[in-house]
Amino acid sequence: MRRLRWSLLVLVIAACAEQSTSPGICPSFCPGGSISIKDTVFAAIVERDSSFRGYIQAYQAPLMIAADSPGVIDSRPFFTSQTMFTRIKRAVDTTTMPVSVDSLRLRLSLMKPSKQATNLRLRLFTLPVTVDSTADFASLDPFFTAAPVDSVNISGLQATPGSTDTLITRFWKGTTGICPACIDSVRVDTAGNVLLMQGDSSLLVYLKLDTLQAPLSQPDSGRLAFGIRVAADSFASVRLATVQTSAEAGAQLNWYFHYADSTATKPDSVSHNHQAVSTRFDSFVFNPPSPALDSNLTVGGVPSARSLLRVAMPAFLHDSIDIVRATLVLVPVSAVPGIPSDSIELEARNITADLGGKSTLGASFRTAFMHVGSTDTVRLEITPFVLAWSVDTTQVTAIMLRQLPEAATYTQARFYSSRASAFRPALHVTYVHRFQFGAR
Amino acid sequence: MTPIRRLGGWAVRAGVIAAVLLVAEPPNRLTAQDSQFGITGLGTPGKWESVRARSAGGAFAPFDPFSPLTDAALADARRMSASIAGGTSWRSLDPTGGPRSALRATRFPALVIAGPITSRIVVGGGFTTYLDRTFGIRLRDTIDLRGVPQPIADDITSDGAVSDLRLGGAVRVQKRIALGLGFHLLTGSTKVVATRRFADSTYRTAADSDVVSYSGAGGSASLLVDLSRDLRVSGWWRTDSKLRADLGGRTITENDLPVSYGAGVIWRAGGQASIAGTVMWRNWATADPADSNAHDTFNWSVGAEIGSLGTPIRFGARGGQMPFGVGATPTEVGYSAGIGRQFSGGRGRLDIGLERLERKGTGMKEGVWTFLIGLTVRP
Repeated sequence: MRRLRWSLLVLVIAACAEQSTSPGICPSFCPGGSISIKDTVFAAIVERDSSFRGYIQAYQAPLMIAADSPGVIDSRPFFTSQTMFTRIKRAVDTTTMPVSVDSLRLRLSLMKPSKQATNLRLRLFTLPVTVDSTADFASLDPFFTAAPVDSVNISGLQATPGSTDTLITRFWKGTTGICPACIDSVRVDTAGNVLLMQGDSSLLVYLKLDTLQAPLSQPDSGRLAFGIRVAADSFASVRLATVQTSAEAGAQLNWYFHYADSTATKPDSVSHNHQAVSTRFDSFVFNPPSPALDSNLTVGGVPSARSLLRVAMPAFLHDSIDIVRATLVLVPVSAVPGIPSDSIELEARNITADLGGKSTLGASFRTAFMHVGSTDTVRLEITPFVLAWSVDTTQVTAIMLRQLPEAATYTQARFYSSRASAFRPALHVTYVHRFQFGAR
Repeated sequence: MTPIRRLGGWAVRAGVIAAVLLVAEPPNRLTAQDSQFGITGLGTPGKWESVRARSAGGAFAPFDPFSPLTDAALADARRMSASIAGGTSWRSLDPTGGPRSALRATRFPALVIAGPITSRIVVGGGFTTYLDRTFGIRLRDTIDLRGVPQPIADDITSDGAVSDLRLGGAVRVQKRIALGLGFHLLTGSTKVVATRRFADSTYRTAADSDVVSYSGAGGSASLLVDLSRDLRVSGWWRTDSKLRADLGGRTITENDLPVSYGAGVIWRAGGQASIAGTVMWRNWATADPADSNAHDTFNWSVGAEIGSLGTPIRFGARGGQMPFGVGATPTEVGYSAGIGRQFSGGRGRLDIGLERLERKGTGMKEGVWTFLIGLTVRP
């Protein structure tokens, strides 16, 4: 009886698994009708397109680019640090003692440096602490063309074997603000500069500075300002994290100092300590500046430019079809100037209200990359947008093009607009007609 | 004795609950044995037989009150009774020049409830499958999209059936003659889905689905004559209106349905054996001359039931034609066997059967194993 029950249970389970689909032998054993697919390029579907500039400024960008390609681009990041105290309170009372700076460490975060760059070097220049968002390339040029206060060979550090000295590796992995598990290796050069290679391929560079290179100035409340230039035998381009990336990601100065701690219990002793100060302001300037907007569609640059493309959906795309692929086709006016190893990430985002340049961005987006120096047609897959437009006729049939991240680089892409009839933006749509279900 | 009584009690309760639920709302699973030969036509005709009749090749169907083939047989239902049939099929397809494939399905092809209202009149009803329209095909191809060869897979599936909802009655006009009349409501729907998948994930899967609903009506008449104490003959005739197919509230097609007629004979060879045979014709091609793939059909069956009423053994064979298929009329041959077991003092009966069908047509061979189980209760 028990065996019979189990047998019945197995039979019931086996029977419940339905399998009714088999390879079709057509036309003898196939139902009438077939899935019909069409592929159409809508050459004039994009209309009333225009560009707008001024969304994000350089000092608001999450990255700042240092690049140098003579005759093409010269981009120079700079930053000012927060204040540094010049006196320190004693432990036993409220009396303060002057601090004497021994040395400094300047930390820079390099995001995904080009692997093609050879002999990549960073040079550090002193700038006036008053630099702010009004600074431009010309006004800062005298400071950037002066003698650098320090330099570091990134390629040289990368080529250095990783330190196996546990004292060194433990010290740097234990540094405040460092994720120990994220550090792949610790490399130190003869000048005492340190490179921490991180798992996400970003680099943390620690430049060792002395008090001549970075003096503690009481009138400036200990604030310092530095500019950075990049040099390389080829592909001189590097992106630095800014304080907009995160509060700890920007340049950081670590002051190492001592002071006389003449307390009753430890008379005439000297105490050593250090203080990290973060970035107060950072930005970058570059030359030549981003060209002015014209009749073409512009994306990127600084301040950032966006392009609004309105799509006039034909009625039949709303009805009786199922869109399987939609591609926005953009023809560049010219190759994007810049360092060839760089690329541009373009984002197409839906908008929820068409208010021109102030249109509200939606949550859906699609991205595509274009390379500096390339004139290839850009194809952005925007299937979810067009599918949503075809289903919901109340949606705003427009998209905003922008660069990711915005205002983080001098690069600017320009595409032909609907004013250029031969090269205007087009929408390449592949769709399936509704299946003609019948009684047979 | 105790285990049998417990089984009977459980079976009776389950049977009544199942009957009530199924009568309340006929499910799509209430379909019969499907076939690839029905894809290009209106579907695969159901077998209007209980498990008892089907285990004997279908030969007992005209004389079995729980087989929804004839109404006159209801006259033998002397107590309020209900019967349900279920089956699981394993189907193998062998297309000419194509890959073999195996399919599996579970169905509940027949339900009959009947009971006397007077000593001479019995009414009954229930439903069975008129046309099964459950199938699925997958087509693989490579098409040129945007100048690139693109592998695709199309799935076209249909799930559902045209059910035959019957209200019938039988009257014993004389001691040896019973006359049956039935009204049939054809109803049901199929959910049809067409899906195209692309090997390149840049293309999203396109899917389209709809529900095709069917409606129609029919009438049937049948006669049961006892020629002697051991010999009984039956004849039946049925006609149906057009089968209307609606999609989204709009009629898309109307198809003529065939006239069916047939006859059967049963001989009781003593108290422990019965032998029966039937023949049936259906003029599918005459009903729809425009459809070159529709064929008139002739089907036969013979079968026997041996043993006591409480634990009979059944076996039988059937043969004939199928109504839809390209080229020559597809044929079907089947063999079946089964057993029955009464319990609870004859108030319940469990029937189990096994059927093998072999179908042949232009371009396709089909083999089907079906495990059948039926429950009849007389609360």
